[in-house]
Order: sequence, then C-alpha cells, then structure tokens
Amino acid sequence: MSENQLFKKLSDAVVNMEEEETVILANEVVLNHYDAYKAIDQGLADGMKRAGKLFEEEEYFIPELLMCSDAMYAGLEVLKPHLKSDDIGKKHKIVIGVIKGDTHDIGKNLVKIMLEASGFEVVDLGRDVAPSDFVEKAKEVKAKIIALSTLMTTTMDGMGEVINILNQQNIRGDFKVMVGGGPISQSFADKIGADGYAANAAEAVRLAKRLVGGGD
Amino acid sequence: MARDQMTPMERLTAYSKGQMIDRLPCVPIIGNTSARVIGVKVSDFRGNGKLIAKAHIESYKLFKYDIIRIFTDLYVQAEAMGAKVFYPDDETAYLEAPAIDHISKIDSIEPANPYKDGNLPHHLEAMKIAVETVGKEVPVTGAITCAFTNASFLIGAEKLARLMLTDPEKVHKLCEVSLETNLRYAKAIIDAGCTPSLTDAMSSSSVISPKQFKEFSYPYLKRLIEYIHSRGKSVTLHICGKTNKIWELMVEAGADCISIDNDADLFEAKNKVGHKVRLMGNIKPSEVMLEGTVRDVKKAVFQCVRQAYDNPKGYIVASGCSLPTETPFQNIHAMMDTVREIGYPLNEDTLNYMIYKGHFYSQDDSYYADYI
Repeated sequence: MSENQLFKKLSDAVVNMEEEETVILANEVVLNHYDAYKAIDQGLADGMKRAGKLFEEEEYFIPELLMCSDAMYAGLEVLKPHLKSDDIGKKHKIVIGVIKGDTHDIGKNLVKIMLEASGFEVVDLGRDVAPSDFVEKAKEVKAKIIALSTLMTTTMDGMGEVINILNQQNIRGDFKVMVGGGPISQSFADKIGADGYAANAAEAVRLAKRLVGGGD
Repeated sequence: MARDQMTPMERLTAYSKGQMIDRLPCVPIIGNTSARVIGVKVSDFRGNGKLIAKAHIESYKLFKYDIIRIFTDLYVQAEAMGAKVFYPDDETAYLEAPAIDHISKIDSIEPANPYKDGNLPHHLEAMKIAVETVGKEVPVTGAITCAFTNASFLIGAEKLARLMLTDPEKVHKLCEVSLETNLRYAKAIIDAGCTPSLTDAMSSSSVISPKQFKEFSYPYLKRLIEYIHSRGKSVTLHICGKTNKIWELMVEAGADCISIDNDADLFEAKNKVGHKVRLMGNIKPSEVMLEGTVRDVKKAVFQCVRQAYDNPKGYIVASGCSLPTETPFQNIHAMMDTVREIGYPLNEDTLNYMIYKGHFYSQDDSYYADYI
C-alpha cells in the first residue's frame, strides 16, 4: 500500500470508530518506515477532523466522537515514538481545564481532542482546577493560549479570576484566553475581558487558530 | 404595578380549563437560590428537609411564582445508589465519583429505597412540609432525574456514552435499575401529596442523537410517565440543550408539558408540537437572569410571551433551566412583574399596542425607536 493510501485508510478507520484497525494501520506505517508526522496529520488527525465535521452536521454525537477519539489516541500511541525530533516542539501550546468547582468535563475533553487533531499541543489540567494553577502552568510550558471551560454557572467567576491574576502579574499580553461551556456567552467573555468565546469544539479550533495568528 | 388576583392553583386550574386568568403562569425555576432567600448556605440543605422546605416556601412567598419545585441538585437518586457527591460549602453539589468505576461491577448496583437511602428521605420530608404548608394555593413538585441521566451518574458520562456503542445491553441494565429507583421515588413523592417533575439533562440532542434517545431514554421516560399518569398526576418533562428533533418523542412518551431551554426555539416548538403539549421556557438562566439587567429581563420575557402566548395547549413563562444560585432577586421580581404587566388575555393587537406605547420593545430597539 502506498503512503497516501495508508494515510487515507487511517483516516477512515478513525472516522469509522475502528480502534483496532487504526492500531494495525499505524503499525503498518511504522513497518514501512513511512513518515509518522504525516501519518498523524493526514491520517489520524484528518479522520478526527472529519468526525468533528460530522458532529457539526449532527450526524455524529458525543458517543461517536468519543469512540473516534479513542481510535485516534490508540494510533497516536503507536506513532508518537517514531516522530522525528524536529516534528516535536513546533506546535503552539494550549493549557486547558475545567474551572474549580466544576467536574463536568465532556465538553472540555471534546475541545481538547479537536485541538490536538488540529495540530495544537494541549496540556490538560483536568477538572476542578484553581485559577492560579492555569496561570502557573501556562507560564511553565510557555503556552500561547489558556482555554477555560465550565458547565456550571456557579463557577463562571473563576474565569474572570484567571484574567485578574494575569493582569496582576503584568503578563496578560503573553497569553490569549479563550472561554466556553454551557452558561458562557460572548457577552460574558467580553465582560471578563477574554480574547474569545467558542460555542462548541469546532468553533474552539477556529478560534484558537485565529488567536495564534493562523488561518483556518 | 399590576397585582395577582388569583393563587397559582386557581390560575393553573382556570388556565387548563380555558377560563379567564389574571396573567400567564410564570415559573422562574428556583433551586438553590432559595438558600439566599432565607440566608443560609447551600450546604445547609444537606440532610435537612425542614430547611429545604422553609427555603422554598419563603421563596414562593417572596416572588409568588406558580410552581414550587423541590430541587437541590441532579444527583440525589444516584447518591442513594452509591455515587459520591461533593458538597461545596456554599455552592451547588456536584458528582465526585460515579457509583461504579468499571462496568464489571454493574451487579453491585441496587435500586434505592426512598425512605432510607442517601438524602432522598430529606427531600421527601421537604416536599411533605411544603405541601402541608402552601399546597392548597400552589402546586408543589419534586424533581426526579430520569433514568438515562441517572445511569450516566452511576458509571460516568463518558463511559456510558462509549457503552452505548460497544455494549448497549449494559446501558439498558443501568437505565433499568435507575428506572426502578425513579418509580419508587415517584411513588413516594406522590404519596407525600406532591407531583414529580422530570428532568433528563443527558438525553439532550446536544449529547446523544435522536436515534440514541429513542433507544436508550425514551422507553424509560415512557414507563415512568405511565406510572405517574396512573396516579392521576400530569407530567412536566425538562430536557436541556438542543431538543427540537426529540420533541415528538417527548410528547409520545406522555409529557403533558415540555420545558425547553434557550438552545431550543419556543416559536418552532409551538408550531411543531404546541397542539399536543404545553410549553414552558425559555428565558436564558445565565445570560439574562444572572448577568442581565432588569431591562434585559423585561425584554426577554416579552419576547418569550410573544412567541408562545397563543400555544394551543398553553404556555408557562419560565427560565430555560434552573436559575443559577446567585441570580439577583430584582431580576426574578422583574420576570414576575413583567408577566403581571403584560396581563391576560393576549392577542397580536394588544402585544403590538404595548410596543407602540413604549411599554415593551420589539425584537430590536431600533424598531421601537421608530415609534417615538
């Protein structure tokens, strides 16, 4: 099988939620000494992007998207060790998490999956994260973007708190802050001085690309 | 300012019979905001049915809305079945850990006993007190988290989502044991003189497909509603997020009233299912009620009324979902007062006249500005 054929099959396996098939194909990439970076980009990530599109079109829902991401991550496990060092480190970094007091993280996980499929390196702080931890981690990994999520109205204020801390430390200009989640709106994002708001995972990817200065 | 001429019970009864009423029924869906009314912490509600009752009774007396709904969080039944719930000092409780961490432990889950397990007895006590105290003038309901959503709290939402595609039988098993708890709890609620009020957040089309809803959620809703109907009670069913593709099924499941949030469109709902079901909604709980000004609330109420006042099976002005705990009282008062000001009966002419007189704004302010 040619390189391109194999990448196409990888992409299909991800979008069809075939985890085992994805692993077999990823191993084939390795055996044939094909380029692991391209296999991720044109195979796994491409399949995930197609899944994201189906999600936007309401063909796929959260269960399907999770199964696609399982396939993508299983393939990544196989391919990651074979990345050349210059492939690593050229990605923009994003620190993501669910604000303290909230343990709903499906939305955040979907955003993370789609950001990773779109070429970002995502540092996931998980759920129930204190505002100061977002800032410390972003400084530590030299992130470009801090992405905040919440599903609960009770924790919305924590988002403003992250921006307050950045302002207090005079580093607000070093990071872009994007927010999302059930109760969040553009007007709320404007009110707390965030750089952007996204209503869903696909929009979050477009927003992140815009914030780091790349097109869609 | 217009005053209420009827009690909620008189108003709802007359409205259902098509008789004259003083204003549309109005329900700002109040949960833990009631703690603010009596100046206690949200966590004080834990294990304290008397306090929950007091908070909801006082809250009703303050705002005079049309339905009391005893509700603290979605996890009461799941907790009684073994899920771990975290109670922050003064915020709404949340799920800390599901009842089981792996599906292999599914057989360890038992339906809850509403008189014994978790906080269920305290919620029942709250309902009983509320019914005894104000039940003659206002309907008192008790929230039930329906089977599919409760199942997601037993195993974890993501695990349940995967199981739907990999092992659907297990999902049905989790829903079945959740339904058994639902049925026992519904019985206890009705025996306490109260009416169950159904909520099923995870059944939203923002999460699962309409096809998955039909397979995994609908059958359990239907069985629960059949039981509640057999006890002579009508049923309100709330599902958050996108719901337009499952309205028909919500109606088929037997709901007498569907409560929709702001990801759904009242006008569309009226046209699609309004001849079969009462509608409730959908003022934005966070953007308008929590964050907005009195003016924003007034505008939003008027827009909702305009979209749904002539719904064939009736319309209840309501927030799209439970109000955030810190919703300002003035916005809740504004919601109620706007409905009083709009009054009843209503038709296109009276609504247009209100805009013309400058009492209300049309969809956008510029249109209104043309008139002054």
